[in-house]
Amino acid sequence: MADMKTVAAATAIVFTLGLVCFTPLGFAQQPESAVSADSLKKLSIEQLMNLQVTSVSKRPERLSQTASAIQVITQEDIQRSGAASLPEALRLATNLQVAQLDSRQWAISARGFNGTAANKLLVLIDGRTVYTPLFSGVFWDVQEVPLADIDRIEVISGPGATLWGANAVNGVINVITKDAKDTQGLLLSGGGGTEQHGFGTVRYGAALGPSVRARFYGRGFDRDATAFPGGQGAADDWYLGQGGFRMDWDASSGTRVTLQGDLYDGRIAQDSGGDIAVSGRNVMAKWSHTLSERSSLAAHLYYDRSHRDIPGVFGEDLDTYDVDVQHRARLGAGHDVVWGLGYRLINDRVVNSASLAFLPSHVAREWFTGFVQDEIALVPNRLQVAFGSKVEHNVYTGFEIQPSGRVNWTLSPSTTLWAAVSRAVRTPSRVDRELFAPAQPPYFLAGGPGFHSEEELAYELGYRHQQGSLALSVAAFYSRYHGLRSLEQVNPPNPVPLVIGNRQDGESFGAEATAEYWLTNRWRVRAGYTELRVHVWPNPGSTDMSRGATESQAPDRQFFLLSSVDLPAHLGLAAWFRAIDDINNQLVPAYAELNVTLTWHPTSKLDLSLVGQNLLHSQHREFGATASPTRRDIQRGVYGAVAWHF
Amino acid sequence: MALLRITAALVLVWAARLGAQATRASEVQVKAVFLFNFAQFVDWPPEAVPDSQAPLIIGILGGDPFGDFLDATVRGERRGARPFAVHRYQRVDDITRCDILFISRSAGDAPEEILARLKNRPILTVSDVDRFAERGGMIRFVTDRSRIRLQINPVAAEAAHLTISSKLLRVAEVITPTGR
Repeated sequence: MADMKTVAAATAIVFTLGLVCFTPLGFAQQPESAVSADSLKKLSIEQLMNLQVTSVSKRPERLSQTASAIQVITQEDIQRSGAASLPEALRLATNLQVAQLDSRQWAISARGFNGTAANKLLVLIDGRTVYTPLFSGVFWDVQEVPLADIDRIEVISGPGATLWGANAVNGVINVITKDAKDTQGLLLSGGGGTEQHGFGTVRYGAALGPSVRARFYGRGFDRDATAFPGGQGAADDWYLGQGGFRMDWDASSGTRVTLQGDLYDGRIAQDSGGDIAVSGRNVMAKWSHTLSERSSLAAHLYYDRSHRDIPGVFGEDLDTYDVDVQHRARLGAGHDVVWGLGYRLINDRVVNSASLAFLPSHVAREWFTGFVQDEIALVPNRLQVAFGSKVEHNVYTGFEIQPSGRVNWTLSPSTTLWAAVSRAVRTPSRVDRELFAPAQPPYFLAGGPGFHSEEELAYELGYRHQQGSLALSVAAFYSRYHGLRSLEQVNPPNPVPLVIGNRQDGESFGAEATAEYWLTNRWRVRAGYTELRVHVWPNPGSTDMSRGATESQAPDRQFFLLSSVDLPAHLGLAAWFRAIDDINNQLVPAYAELNVTLTWHPTSKLDLSLVGQNLLHSQHREFGATASPTRRDIQRGVYGAVAWHF
Repeated sequence: MALLRITAALVLVWAARLGAQATRASEVQVKAVFLFNFAQFVDWPPEAVPDSQAPLIIGILGGDPFGDFLDATVRGERRGARPFAVHRYQRVDDITRCDILFISRSAGDAPEEILARLKNRPILTVSDVDRFAERGGMIRFVTDRSRIRLQINPVAAEAAHLTISSKLLRVAEVITPTGR
């Protein structure tokens, strides 16, 4: 019951703060009235450049993105939140469902259908797809982008399949790192604490030529284990070392080349069995060229290798080769056409164990994609529509077509209404067709030889307002799903054997709202709220008994509030409160947590911070079946960090 | 609970005091003041000035991020005998006479096309679009660690027969697009 009191107290603080802000006391001043044009005009150019400014997250420039439910996480948000890893930072987008399972595993999805093997979200790091073809999901433990190098994270909920490709059924996460030009000089940072045992980064950026800038980094961390519900420690502590580079070359006024790559190696302890070993590397080349005032060409090429060995259970070596070309041209009056072609080859070698097997264990698979989209300005700067489709070929189901139509209506310079209808598919992954447990017959669980794509038809409507110190956006959606994955009993009512099928349908609906507001010039508040309902049901003839419990594990609602204040003496204080409803098909109760970050920048070269994470409870659960003996709780943590910029 | 409310109220009063002695200004306000200041640091060729009393026009192409702040900034101000005026344009073709043009992000993410259509007209082009100076624009606002920096492409300005004062160039990052 002590827990409930803390939640109540924290909620009271947040709401009291919220209420008082809007009472006639009117302490909160808008920046417009606080700084007059006259006082700013008295400043010299140098003084203007030294002035700290407040800004709301920039909206992306392309219509295809603005006519969708996009939330942007900025570098400043990440710093203020005290997030220590990419998945934690993703909690700042309320159009995502984010839950931590243990020290390294996360369940992350948009618009429901969450799970440890969530398969309807596309994650890109600087354009490189980081999903595994095993289950069309993401191994979050090896996506450790250095947070200081992130420029912004764009999170789009809803189908992005037309432009972004396979897997963008319910959302796209686009992690964009900084240009090498913006990370020049030496950065040394490090710290440690209770859950974040220790971490350190060295980054060096330099000019390699008149128009070539590069950065190199190396980092490592050691993270503490989580705890069992009884309080005793689990043994899932782990460490990872990573290094990489990025080089940006402005070859000519219209040509730009980027080369980047990363290398990592880590070990994760387990309660039973030997350590999990993970390692990988990737290298990517990007080229863009302006052909004329009306057309431009861009291409990228990457290679990604990942290795994972879970002793006695599963091992995998995956090589991915990807090439992508995109051409953009303005045709006639108001037509902006983008089209592209892509090819991807994967070479996947799995080491099977007695308990589970992917058969065949070694596959090489190819994907071919092509897309075209036309953005038409019906009334310039007022009414725009975009139509397009992606055509993809995969070895499992052949050709798949994913069209979409979008409308963007600018009511005023600060207000936009948008609507979209899209079709997206989740194509089969290896799990759906090639997974067998145990490795030898008789199987309890077998992949479905006829498993086909899951289909979605989504309707979305959104409103966005951005003016001065306020940015507000709301998106509502309704989606229908056909042929969702089901577990069919072969000999009902016997619970096993099971064969994977497509005999479930479903629907989801809800709304996502986010707002950012500068209450005063030093006090910024960012809040988000999401309502979500997902229903999954078996089709006639199906013998699935799961009722969607294996496909979607997501809370009905979630809320967050990030409040950050600049204090005198170069101090900053931020509080980040989140409240997540229960996951009813997992018996995970509702919870509320609070992070508090205190920062101090005594000089422009030195940043000090003290972060308290998940402060409201000594431990809490976010995901996983209650009955499972392996379920872990996430513990309260405190860490300190120092960063020097030279 | 009463204690909580009192604490919260105290925190608020304290925060509001801080707000009153603010040193932060909103990004768009500062950019508006920059646009106004640029007029003092740029010389236009004689043919761009119809007469010594002609208003100095600051134009905004696309969505207006400034609200009425730019108007408030230039109200009553003069450069020599020239008063300031703010014009808003939806399309490049609408731009008749203009001295300083702010190209809004909403005007499109391919400034090359807009710049090509303005080519050689004596208009100081300013934007916060990514890599604006490298792409042929004259001045780009870069917001970095909560401060606004300037990137200036003097070659583009010279091509339009504009002279940017060395005082402005000194505090800016000079961008020289390589090749053609």
